[in-house]
Amino acid sequence: MTDLLVALNTRPLLCDGAMGTQLMDCGLGSGDCGMLWNTLHSNRVRGIHQFYAEAGCNLLTTNTFGGTSYALDRHGLADHVLKLNRAGAQVAREAIGKSGWVLGDVGPFGDFMEPLGQTSADELCAMFREQIAALAEGGVDAILIETMSDPAEMEVAIAASKQAASLPIIGTYAFQKSGETGFRTMMGAPVKEAIERAIAAGADIVGTNCGVELSFGDYLELARQIVSAAGKTPVILQPNAGSPQLVNGEIIYNATPEEMAALTADLLDAGVRIVGGCCGTNPGHLAAMSRRIG
Amino acid sequence: MSELQELTAAVEKGNRKEAIRLTNLLIEAGMPPMDIVETGLVPAMSNVGEKFKNNEIFVPEMLIAARAMKEAMAIIQPLLTAAGIKPKYTAIIGTVQGDLHDIGKNLVAMMLKGANFNVIDIGTNVPPEKFVAAAKEHEAQLVGLSALLTTTMPAMKTTVEAFRTAGLNTVKIMIGGAPITQEFADEIGADGYSPDAASAVDLANKMVAA
Repeated sequence: MTDLLVALNTRPLLCDGAMGTQLMDCGLGSGDCGMLWNTLHSNRVRGIHQFYAEAGCNLLTTNTFGGTSYALDRHGLADHVLKLNRAGAQVAREAIGKSGWVLGDVGPFGDFMEPLGQTSADELCAMFREQIAALAEGGVDAILIETMSDPAEMEVAIAASKQAASLPIIGTYAFQKSGETGFRTMMGAPVKEAIERAIAAGADIVGTNCGVELSFGDYLELARQIVSAAGKTPVILQPNAGSPQLVNGEIIYNATPEEMAALTADLLDAGVRIVGGCCGTNPGHLAAMSRRIG
Repeated sequence: MSELQELTAAVEKGNRKEAIRLTNLLIEAGMPPMDIVETGLVPAMSNVGEKFKNNEIFVPEMLIAARAMKEAMAIIQPLLTAAGIKPKYTAIIGTVQGDLHDIGKNLVAMMLKGANFNVIDIGTNVPPEKFVAAAKEHEAQLVGLSALLTTTMPAMKTTVEAFRTAGLNTVKIMIGGAPITQEFADEIGADGYSPDAASAVDLANKMVAA
């Protein structure tokens, strides 16, 4: 398999879509730990990965978003970091083999760092390192640090990744609108600062995923701002499928696959190199986006 | 600037030491504790909320100010308790069933405390019947439901329904969280939605006054 960064120089790539909602469709109970399925029902997790691979996704994201000991502790699984992250990497690899890249997914630890919270940078770094080492052991091709709000936490996670493995690092933040044309993370970091700090810390690819109440127009404007802030660093964008609505007791995201495909084309025109999906996206969306990427 | 104004400024800036010093000073000078809360602390957090809504400050500054307020309240609360003085309104707050996220919920709880609500935080992964029981037990006027996950949004609907079924029709229910919209609040019959912790205070004040 070619190095991810080398491949990106020659063509845009497609990342996958949402995992949590797909797990729930496969029977995961509300509030249950989806990561536990990496070992308990690995066939189902593999099945979801395969749907995305068949939809044309080049990059599969492991089912390990809440995979630090801190986040797993909420389910009483703090001592399962190695097992569940490694299994998550392996099951994604089984689904795509050597025909794509596996991204080891790392989400925020779920609290504030010192001085706002109780967790020191060193403690946090150790937690990220433990998770990322397990993902590397499972055979991931790169580390995806995503949905971050605090650039300081991003910096710690990137440092941890460099200590734990020598793999390409993708760093993405969740943004929300701030003022007329601006975007900031929940912690108040503007686009330029957040992106520049991720790059300075050593991210090889930067961008955004998720976001709060962003329209497709917002995502496009955000993409332009990130591309501009990122300079030569490749940009990834993983938008939500519109906004959630309640239909017959179920939450449905309102964007159609065609609309996601049209957005994909616009994002590529804006200079984005990797497009994928976040909340509410499914293999149907990704298949349409794949056709647009070509 | 009076000492009361200084207290407001100290809390706004998140200067904990000054907030403690000035609170003690005002108590020693004989100012009734509830007056310190209502004319010193509440205006500080109200200013913080205002600046937050105007994108002048962000979550970190809000957290630091709330912590200073908390330190001041830790001094005042025993005096209020001893005198049998309670805040006018009680709010129950929690993250709905299936959802273990608490950052958003904690921010709203913090800001409601800053507006002198009696806030009962019943945690995360809260089943509908527990919200109802807590509202009854504490005779709450207000309930705040939080959800971060799309997949737990339906639990907001069942929680609202549980209140209606229990006949607690005067209890106002407000909802919030990253995927939540006003449209969704309308769909499930919640009384209000707020996009952030500062707006949640405005909404709460409006709802209890209604």
